[in-house]
Amino acid sequence: MAAEHPLVLPGDTIDPSLIPTHKKQPLRLGPGLRHNPPSTILPTVAGQLVTDLRKNSMWVEYNGGRYIPSQGDLVIGQVARSATDLYFVNITPYTANASLPHLSFEGATKKTRPQLLPGALVYARVTLANRHMDPELECVSATTGRAEGLGPLTGGMAFDVSLGLARRLLMARSREEGGIEVLEQLGAEGLAFETAVGRNGRVWVSSDSLKTVVLVGRALTETDEKGLGVEQQRKLVKKLIREMR
Amino acid sequence: MATTAPPDATLSPLPRADGSAKYSYAGYTVTATVTGPIEAQRRDEHAYEAHVDVIVRPAAGVGGTRERHLESILQSSLSQLILVKNFPRTLIQIVLQVEATPDNDYVNTKLVQTSLNFPIIPALLQTAVLALLSAAMPMRATATSAVVAVVSQDGTSRTVADASARDIETAQSVHVLAFTSQDELLLAESEGDFTVEEWDDVYETAKRICCQSGASKAGIEMLVDDESLNGPDMRQFLRSTLETKVDADLHWK
Repeated sequence: MAAEHPLVLPGDTIDPSLIPTHKKQPLRLGPGLRHNPPSTILPTVAGQLVTDLRKNSMWVEYNGGRYIPSQGDLVIGQVARSATDLYFVNITPYTANASLPHLSFEGATKKTRPQLLPGALVYARVTLANRHMDPELECVSATTGRAEGLGPLTGGMAFDVSLGLARRLLMARSREEGGIEVLEQLGAEGLAFETAVGRNGRVWVSSDSLKTVVLVGRALTETDEKGLGVEQQRKLVKKLIREMR
Repeated sequence: MATTAPPDATLSPLPRADGSAKYSYAGYTVTATVTGPIEAQRRDEHAYEAHVDVIVRPAAGVGGTRERHLESILQSSLSQLILVKNFPRTLIQIVLQVEATPDNDYVNTKLVQTSLNFPIIPALLQTAVLALLSAAMPMRATATSAVVAVVSQDGTSRTVADASARDIETAQSVHVLAFTSQDELLLAESEGDFTVEEWDDVYETAKRICCQSGASKAGIEMLVDDESLNGPDMRQFLRSTLETKVDADLHWK
């Protein structure tokens, strides 16, 4: 595994044999890499270098740090305040607020739009992320006009997790690729709950029973902090369920 | 003396900070946190780059002029390392809390307060770099640093790497140098009387400590015993510390 995904530190030289080449597709650089013209590629963070030959792309896999918005990410934001035609939404603490127009909700018109009070949670997609401008969000797909699961999150509770765990939970096959099974296990134990995962390291959990919300949140944060594997996650779920009953 | 103990570091000991590190070597223990990029105050804002704010807190009491000087030295070095242009109009805050300093049996430490505390700079810089790596802050390169003293003995002067407090007390001149991982000189601060030849000597010694992992990889085995006298391989230490952290973070891969 180590040979496949070598450790890189900022400024390390990348062995040219590791850089994928393709006849037609241009090389795509993901997070953690920097192109230094004319032809140098340098890592900017410490992590494992991952290359995808099929997509002709490479990136550095790492965990930690602060969320930096990028276009298309799903995030859970907290409404800070409302202006005349947009909400100011907080994505990460102590950073400039993102803007969420009042009209970018499903079926919203000037007369009917969701009334969000300061502190309300919203599940939104980042539409504009640019280092020189504050990010912009939307709760509706611009192409279809449908919410597609986005919108205000009512009830429930948000838990903070690491960016790495949020990324793993958002993977299409989080069990096989991300090695995260705790939510499936909790569901299999007969708990009814719904979750929303924000790329900014927030997980929202909602259920009819408050006990379930706390239990799911605790299971997720403990999995994150202790870096549990699939087998340990099963044990944790069993333990938490036993304690609850 | 504690100088013989290898350096020791813990990454991300503080769960609430964006990045943190605890580092101890040669009797110094420093904990650092990194927060950022966050919203900068209007007066600190730069239109095209992030403002790097370094805060040094001494082990006891509140900081004074000496800490402000250390902060200005570290600030200029660290903003060279961080890709500040990636985060315009933001603030990157680095807080360095000194937890322990080595005891000096020969002098009253209170008196040292007046002069600049050179041997602490490598510890502070090393901790700051580790904390920045833990915060996944985009950086140009990593850095390693060393303190070198020129001691005159029986009429001849010699350079002492990783000088002890006693060495520094009696030294003719003390130098702090830092190198980036691309072998570029990042920081050079000197204090005392020295000649150009002595400085060249100091430069070579510091470079050997800071940049030697490349040489040992090339298979220069003979030098290994010699080198170990001149302090540990800082770059190798940095890499192995990060390797442990990255492996733990990506255990699911």
